[in-house]
Amino acid sequence: MNAQTPKPFEEVLEYLEGKKKIVLMGCGGCATIYHTGGIKEIDEMAEKLTKEGKEISKIGLPFGLFTCFLPMSSMVLNENKKAIEDCDAMLMMSCGDGLQAVRGYLEDEWGIVKPMYPSNNALGFSSGGPSDFIEECQGCGDCELGKTAGVCPLVRCAKGLMNGPCGGVREDGKCEVNEDQECAWVTIYKRLEKFGELDKLLEIREPHDWSKQSRPRTVTVEHPIDLLKELAGTKKVIESLGV
Amino acid sequence: MEMAEEVYSNLMREIKDGRFVWTGELEPAKDIDEAIEAANELKGLVTACNVTDNPQSFAAINSLAASYKIQEETGMECIYQLRCSDRNRMALCSDVMGAGILGLKNILTLTGDYVSLGDTPKAKPVYDLDSTTLTRMIHTLVHEGKDISGTEIPNPPKLHVGAAAGPGMDPLEPELYKLKRKSIAGAEFFQTQVVYLPETIDRFFKGVKELGVETPILVGIFPAKSYGAAKFFDEYVTGVDVPQDFLKNLEATKQIKDKEKRKEEVDRVNIEYFTGFLEHLKGTPAVGCHIMAVGYPRIIPELKKIIE
Ligand code: SF4
Ligand code: SF4
Repeated sequence: MNAQTPKPFEEVLEYLEGKKKIVLMGCGGCATIYHTGGIKEIDEMAEKLTKEGKEISKIGLPFGLFTCFLPMSSMVLNENKKAIEDCDAMLMMSCGDGLQAVRGYLEDEWGIVKPMYPSNNALGFSSGGPSDFIEECQGCGDCELGKTAGVCPLVRCAKGLMNGPCGGVREDGKCEVNEDQECAWVTIYKRLEKFGELDKLLEIREPHDWSKQSRPRTVTVEHPIDLLKELAGTKKVIESLGV
Repeated sequence: MEMAEEVYSNLMREIKDGRFVWTGELEPAKDIDEAIEAANELKGLVTACNVTDNPQSFAAINSLAASYKIQEETGMECIYQLRCSDRNRMALCSDVMGAGILGLKNILTLTGDYVSLGDTPKAKPVYDLDSTTLTRMIHTLVHEGKDISGTEIPNPPKLHVGAAAGPGMDPLEPELYKLKRKSIAGAEFFQTQVVYLPETIDRFFKGVKELGVETPILVGIFPAKSYGAAKFFDEYVTGVDVPQDFLKNLEATKQIKDKEKRKEEVDRVNIEYFTGFLEHLKGTPAVGCHIMAVGYPRIIPELKKIIE
């Protein structure tokens, strides 16, 4: 998931200065999980902006509909085409991906250029939940986990070191930079010790290949999923869980 | 790791000759004059001096430029410190080739404190290489005449690469493995973080031996020229425990009004402590001491007497 936190309301207001008709659009994926762009947060934002004299249209996406996945979000966008055409600006209560996926769709498919503003700060991949999340992977494009006991040194180590701990490890094995976290290399050491593979620590790891992260990266999926078929599968699982 | 055949620096010559080696520390911050003055004061007392690279992540005068200038102006041999925090592999490689043409003879590789510790917390941290791969890169430059991309270079730098170690780290094992990894990468000497306790030294050398590391090690010491200096180490530097008795004795010197008498007493407290410590060190594989205290050269002759 793409972790996110809301921007201060003042910053949002600044963006919207001079704009009257605003479309609020959220996301049924990460933004719903992080309470930054679910249907409830859209309602709250609408109320606050109405008090500031804005005219609001809302596009809320139910859980499971991702704004960044256009086969899903385009269905919702098409339903709200009129409001979008008429608005002065869109406020995207999603991550930066969601905002830009919609921006691209409007420009490429509809030929519409609208000012779009973010209401959130995205923090990147994270895992865990329902309330506590931690960043574990930065999508570097050349996964090192197979060499590092399943612990990512690029993310879990604040310095992204590939060959063991820095000199700043705190006395209890905590990280120099984040004292709440165990040093990634202490974690890696403990895991390798359990596997009886400490000698792996004597192999010098190559510096990470950052060429795999030259941006923006693009990916083409050869046989795109059949959305309706996949959703039917999801429905079955949910039913079998008795939900 | 086989030691380099050729010897380029006084530091390495003395280590190879089996002499007990003393190195000092110079910390050019935003001005070089003080460091030059300190280098002049340390001449004849130590074999070489480390020149710090953005210590504690405060932007300081470039350590390559400072090392060159100090060496040129004072004749003090420098150990040019190079951290991974601020430069990518290309910049590190070009700096090391630059060090070669400037006649620097020793480099100490460091990971480097995180940028948020210092005066430029919004900087983008680099760490493109780590201290192991930086050590290997320098070793390859010197011994194989190849740069980071594998391209041959006509006049490889003639210098020695050393690395750091932390005897007081807890847990110690991951640090020992890293030390071994750095020695495999080509580290020709180690300088350790400051140690005060003989038990810390023993535990460390035991581990070093168990892992079969034979690289020469200089142990870091910090004679404290004031109570405040020792207190700082105790409170803020990870992996360094300053003995409470030593701290108490230093604190007591604050009561002495007469400046000269106070200095004498501070020296006495240090000598008393380090006599025991250095006597102990003689029985370990340590090949020398790295004196990290800045601005306290008058204590060095006294310390050397203990070893001799
Ligand atoms: S090495 Fe780390 S950042 Fe790269 S893909 Fe693997 S987990 Fe993600
Ligand atoms: S303490 Fe460990 S996790 Fe933290 S920066 Fe140093 S090596 Fe990385």
